[in-house]
Amino acid sequence: MGMLRIISKRGDDRLFWNVQDAQAGDAEATAAIQEAERIFAKARAKGATAFRVEPGKPVERLEQFDPQASEIIMVPRVVGG
Amino acid sequence: MNIEMLMALLGEGILLLLLGAFIFGNSFKRPEAKRRANELLCAVLTPEQYSQLTQRGHIDIPSPSDPERIYRVPKYPGRVQVREKGRVTMWLCLQPYDWVPDADVVVIHKLMIEADEETYLQKANQITPFSFDYNVAH
Repeated sequence: MGMLRIISKRGDDRLFWNVQDAQAGDAEATAAIQEAERIFAKARAKGATAFRVEPGKPVERLEQFDPQASEIIMVPRVVGG
Repeated sequence: MNIEMLMALLGEGILLLLLGAFIFGNSFKRPEAKRRANELLCAVLTPEQYSQLTQRGHIDIPSPSDPERIYRVPKYPGRVQVREKGRVTMWLCLQPYDWVPDADVVVIHKLMIEADEETYLQKANQITPFSFDYNVAH
């Protein structure tokens, strides 16, 4: 299972997808991945930064959506205070 | 009372109702947002960092590029201390453009420092002890 978390004023919005099901031809699973990719791109266009967070691995900045990632966290645009 | 006055009063009443609903709705949404943000914080921090945050009110994040540097991130919005060999060398000020719960701000600092320290330092406003003294003195 993959999860996209988008930090927002609501805490975080979450989207889930299943790569195995999508690879097996499940239309809903494919649509879920496409939706996650669309939201990823939209957030990036608004200035958000994405990070791949995997248990036991260093956090990594992500430039493009990766459906193989188990968890992606999107941080909203930040500014110097 | 003529019809125009009645319409104006009705319009004002509707506006007040909408404003009230907006404020009422937001005040109920924020606790839920904070709960979700705390869940994310718990998932992102190591058990040691979470314990440090709850007990001391800050977490220390080691710099990925400099083994002698740590970033001390406060639990609540405020400046991040940059410490080298135990001494404060700089304060950093960085915040989300739009409001997010406090716990999410801690997550943002942690992810940016660990994965993209260079951009983090570029984006943050930096205050050195010298500039701080200068500002206080003048």
